[in-house]
Amino acid sequence: MHFPLWLLFALVTLIFWGITGVTQKLSTNAISTELSFLWFVLAFIPIALAILLLVPLDWHLKTRVYCLAVVGGALNGLGALTSFKALESGGKASIVIPLCYLYPLVTIFLALILLHEKVTSKEGAGIVLALVAAILLSREAPPKAPKCD
Amino acid sequence: MSIAPQEQELAIPKRMLPPWLMYSLLTIFLWGVWGATSKAVANDINAYMNQVLFTIGLVPLLCLVVRSPRLAGGKSRKRGIFYAVITGILGGTGNITFFTSLTLGGRAAVVVPMMSLSPLATVILAFLVLRERISASQIMGLGLAVVAIYLLSM
Repeated sequence: MHFPLWLLFALVTLIFWGITGVTQKLSTNAISTELSFLWFVLAFIPIALAILLLVPLDWHLKTRVYCLAVVGGALNGLGALTSFKALESGGKASIVIPLCYLYPLVTIFLALILLHEKVTSKEGAGIVLALVAAILLSREAPPKAPKCD
Repeated sequence: MSIAPQEQELAIPKRMLPPWLMYSLLTIFLWGVWGATSKAVANDINAYMNQVLFTIGLVPLLCLVVRSPRLAGGKSRKRGIFYAVITGILGGTGNITFFTSLTLGGRAAVVVPMMSLSPLATVILAFLVLRERISASQIMGLGLAVVAIYLLSM
């Protein structure tokens, strides 16, 4: 069975980011979202420094590429901050979190229209199932009621 | 019966979206565009260069939180900071593998929805490590996620 390399890296990413779902919860249970975000961002710096020291990089890039890559980092970080604000502004986690997991719809729209990507019918079904699954996965079980003696 | 003047000042116009919904929609837009911009440069740079530039875009956002009074305090600061750093390291490393997936031919319209299934790993890990209960919805989600990954990989 053919197992494409892009799929392997995608699954590894899914696992890494899935683990962050737990570690972020453990972090924000102990400190504020602002402090958690601060240290989350600071942790990116040694990764970037390690790359600069160890990996030869080609800096001859078009301005457009520089801008899009840098803006990508800002967009991702801003999205994290606005998701925190949504929860802190009175939004219920049971609604905000699944709602935010609909973000691939925007990516799909832009990918199809601007990047001219094509999707097969099976992949389309997979996309729909993935979004439904993401919403279902975010619906946590209610906490156990305390026993009354 | 008319509304008293004081109450009129406090009345929130019903046509405005509640703040939590505006922030949620903004999040969808920001993350959605990020997914597309990542693919837009995937043919021009490798994952390591992208990570460096991504960090350059991310770090200035610290100015949005650096003056917050909520940086002080916390139930267990060392523990919270430790897990925040772990989140950053896994998040950054995951960003490298995510971008590598795009450079190896993964389409954004397929890879990004697959990434929204990361709660699959979260739910399983939370069950094993934190002993959190898995809801009936999450069990259904686990099943659908496996089918979705299979369909997306075809």
